[in-house]
Amino acid sequence: MIELSGISRDFQVGEETVHALADIDLTVPDGDYLSLMGPSGSGKSSLLNILGCLDRPTRGSYRLDGREVARLPEEELSRIRRQHIGFVFQFYHLVPRLTAAGNVELPMIFAGVERGERIERVDRALREVGLSARARHRSEQLSGGERQRVAIARAIVMGPRVLLADEPTGNLDISAGREIVRLLEERNARGLTVIVVTHDPDIGSRARHRIRLADGKIVSEENAVADGAAVGLRSR
Amino acid sequence: MSFRDLVGFAIGALRGHRLRSGLSLLGVAIGVASVILLTSVGEGARLYVTGEFATLGSNLLIVFPGKTETTGISPFLTEAPHALTLEDAEAILHHVRSARRVAPIVFGVAAARVGDRRRDVGVIGTTSEFLGVRQIRLRSGRYLPAGELARGQRVCVIGSKVQSELFGARNPLGEILHLGEERFRVIGVTAPRGLSIGQDLDEIVHVPVSRGMKLFNKISLFRILVEISSHQEIPAARRNALELLKERHEGFEDVTIWTQDSVLATFSRVLSLLTAALGGIAAISLTVAGVGIMNVMLVSVSERRREIGLLKAIGVMPRQVVSAFLVEAALLSTAGGALGLAAALGATRLMRTMYPSFPARPPFWVLPAALSVSIGVGLLFGALPARRASRLDPVAALARR
Amino acid sequence: MQRDFWKLAWESIAAHPLRSALTTLGIVIGVASVILLTSLGEGTRRSLVSEFSQFGTNLITIHRGKTTTAGIPGAVGGTIRKLTLGDAEALRRVPGVDALVPVAFGSARVEFGERGRDVVVYGVTSEVPKVWRFAVGGGRFLPRGDPARASSFAVLGPRLKRELFGEANALGEHVKIGGRRFSVIGVMASKGQVFGFDMDDTAYIAVASAHSLFNTEDLLEIDVLFSLGASGDSVKEGIREALIRRHGGEEDFTVRTQAESLDVLNRVLSVVTAAVGGIGAISLLVGAIGILTMMWIAVGERTAEIGLLKALGATRGQIARLFLLEAALLSVVGGGVGVAVGMGLGALIRLAIPAISVHTAPGFIAAALAVSLAVGLGSGVLPARRASRLDPIEALRAE
Repeated sequence: MIELSGISRDFQVGEETVHALADIDLTVPDGDYLSLMGPSGSGKSSLLNILGCLDRPTRGSYRLDGREVARLPEEELSRIRRQHIGFVFQFYHLVPRLTAAGNVELPMIFAGVERGERIERVDRALREVGLSARARHRSEQLSGGERQRVAIARAIVMGPRVLLADEPTGNLDISAGREIVRLLEERNARGLTVIVVTHDPDIGSRARHRIRLADGKIVSEENAVADGAAVGLRSR
Repeated sequence: MSFRDLVGFAIGALRGHRLRSGLSLLGVAIGVASVILLTSVGEGARLYVTGEFATLGSNLLIVFPGKTETTGISPFLTEAPHALTLEDAEAILHHVRSARRVAPIVFGVAAARVGDRRRDVGVIGTTSEFLGVRQIRLRSGRYLPAGELARGQRVCVIGSKVQSELFGARNPLGEILHLGEERFRVIGVTAPRGLSIGQDLDEIVHVPVSRGMKLFNKISLFRILVEISSHQEIPAARRNALELLKERHEGFEDVTIWTQDSVLATFSRVLSLLTAALGGIAAISLTVAGVGIMNVMLVSVSERRREIGLLKAIGVMPRQVVSAFLVEAALLSTAGGALGLAAALGATRLMRTMYPSFPARPPFWVLPAALSVSIGVGLLFGALPARRASRLDPVAALARR
Repeated sequence: MQRDFWKLAWESIAAHPLRSALTTLGIVIGVASVILLTSLGEGTRRSLVSEFSQFGTNLITIHRGKTTTAGIPGAVGGTIRKLTLGDAEALRRVPGVDALVPVAFGSARVEFGERGRDVVVYGVTSEVPKVWRFAVGGGRFLPRGDPARASSFAVLGPRLKRELFGEANALGEHVKIGGRRFSVIGVMASKGQVFGFDMDDTAYIAVASAHSLFNTEDLLEIDVLFSLGASGDSVKEGIREALIRRHGGEEDFTVRTQAESLDVLNRVLSVVTAAVGGIGAISLLVGAIGILTMMWIAVGERTAEIGLLKALGATRGQIARLFLLEAALLSVVGGGVGVAVGMGLGALIRLAIPAISVHTAPGFIAAALAVSLAVGLGSGVLPARRASRLDPIEALRAE
């Protein structure tokens, strides 16, 4: 369960201060399916980075499962990212010299997981994204969609509670993109909190919890309750 | 994270760029190989010299006439007011308890002649004890005879080169050899020995000591060699001999006594220093190789910014990032060191088979030093790139393609 | 066109100052160390040569024995044919000979009252100050006279004098040398250490007295000074002939001019310096590999730039030359910096430890720069070829 209150992120650009995020309040319950939408420069990527503990807010509080993480040292944040958070990026960010299996294995190597166990979990993760056949291929030999699937496998292999996706379909064609979305929603159905940043309204509207950002502030928030009852609107 | 995984990750990264990894490794290899080769040559010289000294026979005291305060070593050139005499030599044998054998020596250069053939030879005037003290082996005949009376006989023992040059294929035993104006009968030939420190024994003619003294018109002996029964008794024997000779020389301490140990130790020390200096100079190249590794690693870090950003995103800790790059650098340098080591050892082995008398071999400290320095170079010069990698901002790195 | 090339090459280097500096760092270290080492060697050579030369350059030394195979040069033992005072006197008649000193050599104890010292004793004649260029500090040197006659005069080296007499006057006092009585008529000026021998800790007596003291008739050597106008070689020949005649047709002695000894010294030290420099140069080889590696990487990074240049009409040769020039520039600049660093370190050492002589010969500087250039060109060849062979279409398409 994620609770943001009063989160701001300022950047120094030369003489000026840019307010990428201003006073964000947000609650993300477990198992949520959240989309962050907005024009470029609205701060959605910044928000994602903060949610993913990749970046620290300038002001405000970030409670992850009741624990305040905004001011934690780098070591602690690394641990949190390792154990609880999975990332999927627009440009996949696979390590080119490694195979698909090698990429999925990567987080476990640095987490100190035993070799035998690693092999098992890699197999399982690749199976779940339907890429067992391509395990030994290097990333350059895979299509865009396949690469993203490897990225998803990598993101989930450590069993995180939250999966953050930054424009996951931005580099893919329609059918590949659909496949990716399907995979993400499948994981969400199994209890994984999924937060997607996207500029594509078709994708963004699929989420149950939808937030629109502009100029670093939340301008609208919609929350569809599981049984499809009344929608709560919050406008600023 | 297990060490094996760390090494595996590093190897994977290095494999990606074989040429540049290979070149960086080559630099270290050259550095290590040159250090080992140079120190091996130096050590070979040292072993050769000390080995030669060992053939002089162990447990020896060497008595020289003359003494100075400033250098303490006048012995090569000087005369002294009091001669070093045969009686002195006898006195040492009788009064220094641990003295087992004593060989008095006079030395000079004379013109030797056999029939028409002439040659300048070194002449050692000594006694029968010289054979044992200097561990000389005979090729034929016998050595100088023992006993008082024998001191004056006109006999000689010649070196193998003297034999071949003056007698050719003839058997020299029983033949006459002229030294200067005097005639000597050849009674023995020494076995070939090759170069010994300072004297080529194969070009030497041995005559009884009193004949030698007459030949060169000398009153004083050139040296007295004293063989001591055991190693531990040497310092005491040296003191005794000094006191004895001082007494015999009217209270003047005008002799110098060297022990083989001290001579050996000095030579050994000087040569070791030289060897270390040579090694040190060659080691400068290791610094240069380290710089090469650092540069290549810096490029690597900048090329793999996205990868590093990703690692951080998936939760790799900063110190793990540092370790990963440090291990990569250390792997490069260690592999280079191992390669250089193998190459140098192969080369020294080749040298030893080609020149068996020269024991080219690295000093004992060089091999572990070379290995640890190789690892150290990688760690030292990998530190900067590793730090840089760990400080990378993942957000910025991941924002681009 | 050429100048533009230089400009282009220089701009590439200057665009990445840190990278360029680090690339040349290896060469800098290598060159600096070679310059420092050879400067130390050259400095030592010069100081040794000047130590040697203080004896004067028109000096000829005659030793007994030929330096041949008997292992040790004749200085160690005595040949049955000695160098005698008669030989020395005969040499006076050789044309060109200005002065000479017959030298006998031994060690003995010199005593004054309670104090005594074991020192080297030279048996010489009156011409030592002229022939050896040693100045007398107080009193006078041995008087002229028949070299065959012994005398009871002695001249002390300044250190010996200080050890025996302290600050008191030594002139006119009597000392015992080897048990015999001598009277001190002079004290030498300080000469210091020459080749490790402390020349101040010696005593000088008449050569005939030395012969009597040491029970010998041998001379260690005869030192001959020839006049400035004469040629050293011709005097040397004259001496050789005179002595051969006296020695029954045998040449059982060695005649060497100062120039020859110096020549040997020079040659030995030059070899040592070159060897040391050569060892240091191994680091230059490693530095070359470093430049090669970095240039190779640079070509890989700048494929787009190369592709563009080719598309704009640059030929393969021009591309190759550009990269070669870059490598050479990097290397030569590194070499120049290395020379400066090496000389700077040398100057620092000279300041810190004055006993060590350092001198950087311009020849070595030129050599270092030439080698740096060669290193740069050598290590630039492969990367230059790689760059020139790049397919422009591929290069421009790659991101």
